[in-house]
This record gives sequence, structure tokens and C-alpha cells, in this order.
Amino acid sequence: MMNDYNDFRNYYKPTPNYNNREDNNWNFNMNTNINPVVDEHKLNHDLFEPYEGFIRGNLFRGLYQSYKVTRPFQVEPMNDQAQLLTYIDSLGFAAHELNLYLDVHPTDTEMINLFNEYRKQANKATGEYEKKYGPLFVNSSASEKNERWAWNQSPWPWENK
Amino acid sequence: MWIYQKKLQYPVNIRNKDLRMAKYLVTQYGGPAGELSAAWQYLNQRFTMPDDRGKSLLTDIGTEELWHVEIICSMIYQLMKGATIKELEEAGLGSNFAQFGRDLFPSDANGVPFTMAYIKTAGDAIANIESNMAAEQRARATYEHLMDMTDDPDVLAPLAFLRQREIIHYERFKELRDYYLKQKLNQRD
Repeated sequence: MMNDYNDFRNYYKPTPNYNNREDNNWNFNMNTNINPVVDEHKLNHDLFEPYEGFIRGNLFRGLYQSYKVTRPFQVEPMNDQAQLLTYIDSLGFAAHELNLYLDVHPTDTEMINLFNEYRKQANKATGEYEKKYGPLFVNSSASEKNERWAWNQSPWPWENK
Repeated sequence: MWIYQKKLQYPVNIRNKDLRMAKYLVTQYGGPAGELSAAWQYLNQRFTMPDDRGKSLLTDIGTEELWHVEIICSMIYQLMKGATIKELEEAGLGSNFAQFGRDLFPSDANGVPFTMAYIKTAGDAIANIESNMAAEQRARATYEHLMDMTDDPDVLAPLAFLRQREIIHYERFKELRDYYLKQKLNQRD
């Protein structure tokens, strides 16, 4: 009886000869999350801190599976502005992860509370950022006090810093 | 409706020009497993999802795929920035330059233009969601192929980020699919 993917892997061991052949096409990534997960709740409640999740692209420890790179890349901000933006990105990322989770699990109050915590922190930091460096949203209060139209000032997000 | 945020979901700061990677990367813009295709597949399917779970998840993941279109475009733009016509020609991008100059264009890695024929919809929530799970797996595999082809950390970092997003989206679609299957079973009892 095969209960999970580990059982499958133990059962269907590729023969060494086959796997070592130069022309082998054992093109089945062992590193994916297609294994059936028994405890969905546990899987979704062991979270990284926002920044740690952000640099991984994944807030959920149990769902994180790296490929090729053994350690996640740090985001290395070059100045105060980029550092504050990284902080906003991290909180926004964490809130977005919980948003997607809550779409499918709308009665998980623990996660709703955490979403609101990250959402508030992200909004607060966004306000500080916009005050200092200009609007991230066109309807920001940072748009109102400038003599020059603030929204269309560079840099745009796709331009290298 | 949508509103623009003047930032990327994940920063892109590529220091070294790499036309070879730009040529391959474009498939995640306008190719069969690309972000544009995923975005429109979900945003198109969401209208007829059976309940609020499906409507919200497809809206939110579809929206995130648009953020990813922007990340991929930023990468292509930066990888090609400052290239001379001769360099473009040598990298096999001469025909691209002839048609589009230095503009971006959504195509696959062979230059075949993006087509909405890539997107799947079947008039059935389970069939639709499972096609989305498959789309996420195909995109994950494509990101792994692209990661296999470069060692530039400036390129690998956003690719690794985007690949993880496919894993998360797959998981959420799977949870939604399982929930709908359970609902169906309950109805039968």
C-alpha cells in the first residue's frame, strides 16, 4: 500500500544502470510538491517570517522546495529607499500569501488576524515611503503636496537601480 | 478593475547584458506556459466559478500573474539593454530587431507570437481548475529549464522566486479542486 510519495520512491527505485545512462530521460523532478500531503492544516501553519518568505517566494515552510540554488538569495538594497521598499515588499508579500490561502480557507480566524497584522504594517510603511520618496499608488497622499506632478517621476519599476 | 502599484512584486536588477538568456526568457512572457497565458486563463475562468472561494482565488492568482508578466518583461528589458544591432544579430535576435526594433514582444522562445489559443477553459469547474494546476506545473518546469541555463545570480534570483510562486499556486488550486470534489460528493449523499 502506497501512502505517500516517499513510499512511491522506495517502491519504484530506478535501477542504477538506467539512471546512469547518458541518454536517460528520467526527467521526473523529485523536488516538487506533487506528493499527497496528509495534514493540510499543519502544512499551512508553519510560516516563515515575512522577509524570509519573501526572498524564497514562499511563506509556507512545508511547501518550500528549492531548485538548483541551495540557499535563497538575499535582497541587497543599495540605499535607504531600496531598504524601505524591501521591507514593504516583504510585508506585502506575506499579506498576499495569506490572502490566497484565505480565499480557499475563509474561516481560519488565526490567519485572518495575521493577515491584518501584516496588512497594517505594510500600509504604515507604504505611507512612510510615499512621504519620503513619492507615490507607489497614484491616489497616495504623496501626490497632493508636490508642485510638480509626482506620479510620473522616474525611476520606473523595470529600470535597474 | 485594476490599479497600478509603481513597484515590482520582486526586484529585478540585472547588471550583465545577456542576449542569449533574453531570447529564452521571452517564452515566460508570451509562450505556452508563460505568465500572460496563465493570467488570462484564470481571469477568464473566474466569471463562472461556482462559489466565492473560486471567484476570489482565480481573481487574485490571475492578478498576481500580471505582476509576473511585469517581472519577466523587466528581466528581458534589462538583459537586452544597450545591445548593439550587431550583438543582437549575433545572438539570433536580428529578426526580432527587424520586426520590433528594441521593443518587447510577447512570443515563445522561437519567436512564435503569443496566442490566446494557449488558454484553457472547458465550462466545468473541476476541468478548469485541473487545467490551472497543470499550467502551474508546466510553468514550474519551464522555470527550472531556464534556471539550468544560467549561473548569473541576478537572473537566478527572480527565476527562483517565480518558480516558488508556481508551487504555491498549484497548492491553492489543488485545495480548491479538493474542496469542490468534496462538495460534489456531499451532494450525492
